[in-house]
Amino acid sequence: MDQIAFIAEILLPALWGGFVVTLGLIAWTAPFGVLIGAVVAVGRVYGNRPVRFLSRAYVTFFKGCPLLLLLFILYFGLPSIGISLSPFVAAVLGFIFCNSAYDSEYIRGSIRSIKEGQFTAGLALGMTRGQVIRHVILPQAMRRSIPGLVNEFVYLIKYSSLAYMITVIELTGAGKMVATRYFTYNETFFVVGMVYLFLVTLTTIGAHLLERRVAIPS
Amino acid sequence: MQRNLLGLLVLLLAGCVLLAGCTGSTPATNGTNQTGLKAKYIIGLDGAYPPYSYAEKDGSFVGFDVDSARWIANKSGFEVEFQAVAWDGIIPALLAKKIDMVYSGMTITPERAAQVSFSKPYLKINQSVAVRSDSTITMDDIMAGKVVIGSQRGTTGEMWVQKELIEKGKMPATNLKSFDNFPLAITALTNKQVDATVYDKPPTVDIIRDKDVKIITEIDTNEQYGIAIRKEDTQLLETMNKGLDMLMKDPYWNELKAKYKLESV
Repeated sequence: MDQIAFIAEILLPALWGGFVVTLGLIAWTAPFGVLIGAVVAVGRVYGNRPVRFLSRAYVTFFKGCPLLLLLFILYFGLPSIGISLSPFVAAVLGFIFCNSAYDSEYIRGSIRSIKEGQFTAGLALGMTRGQVIRHVILPQAMRRSIPGLVNEFVYLIKYSSLAYMITVIELTGAGKMVATRYFTYNETFFVVGMVYLFLVTLTTIGAHLLERRVAIPS
Repeated sequence: MQRNLLGLLVLLLAGCVLLAGCTGSTPATNGTNQTGLKAKYIIGLDGAYPPYSYAEKDGSFVGFDVDSARWIANKSGFEVEFQAVAWDGIIPALLAKKIDMVYSGMTITPERAAQVSFSKPYLKINQSVAVRSDSTITMDDIMAGKVVIGSQRGTTGEMWVQKELIEKGKMPATNLKSFDNFPLAITALTNKQVDATVYDKPPTVDIIRDKDVKIITEIDTNEQYGIAIRKEDTQLLETMNKGLDMLMKDPYWNELKAKYKLESV
């Protein structure tokens, strides 16, 4: 029996709730991660001195701070200055900080890869700096960032499991609870691992399709 | 395609070799003396579990169980080394021979006893419910499932909440917040992120001593602590049982209880 019955009757129902929470964490984090990442990247390349400094400080801090520590600060530390976040919100915030810091580096690299002549040409056509960045540089740069951003998205799928350290019962947390309760570590973590692999595979396929769809014909 | 497949195989193989390199850990212990016992045993414990096992400022472990283990080891003629392990992974660590026994206030439960052997019980304890000092929460509120409860993952306190409240449909599962260790749960309690904790009584008493937290109820679970040992290590089990017998007859037992304020237990 037992393993099949255990997986079907106990494990999968228990993991389902965690799976939904994991999807929620990713869905809340990824869009803001890319958005803030793009803003920070533009700030670093085109900003004036204070903006450049601030965006650089942002990246340095959140890239340098271990994610788990960041989550602990957000969840256990902030209440000491009167800000009490729910575990889910603390986790999403921590993930957004981390995700956007890395995303900004991928996007910055892509911006740098666009020939400077395009910027000059845009200005010569009477566009403002902002318009050139929005309509000329970023559309190309974001396309070139896709492999990097997908890479970071895949990381996000996996490091979202850290949320269980601040009591969010996501996929890994749900798995741990079942495993501890029934002493079925091998079965549980095998299934949990397969679910992550499934998510990552799905992402990779989706990214491939997206890349083909938005490719600039040439 | 063929080449890709081959490349993949090579990569997989390389991965396996690398992994093997990483996991090729030394067995927990080696060397035996004339009694069939090993010269040294590794004791796994919860590193944040006063008064039974906790770290001093210099990183060394102390506590009622740690001192007991040292005493028994000394009398039985082997050395011990202590290693902190995450509580919800401590039995797998024992089964995987990363440690040789768990001597850290572990309650004997049927589920655990199906996995490992337990020594004879050496302490009896109950669970306790703690709330903030200014809180008006009562045990009735807890039983009604209205209170957000913090506990430590993999402990009998957490199991009590699951069995008595969640599985009986009295409380939604989201009202239980499980932490990695108990001090974190108490931090969340004083932070108002949870409104009560359920945990073994003596450690609760110890941890809340200098905090604005009070115990409102003791839950009579009548649990008994035992030393967990792998089922096949019958020799070690016998030795530890004899050791416990000796220790509990020795005046040192009551000294230890007094030292760690466990007289009433």
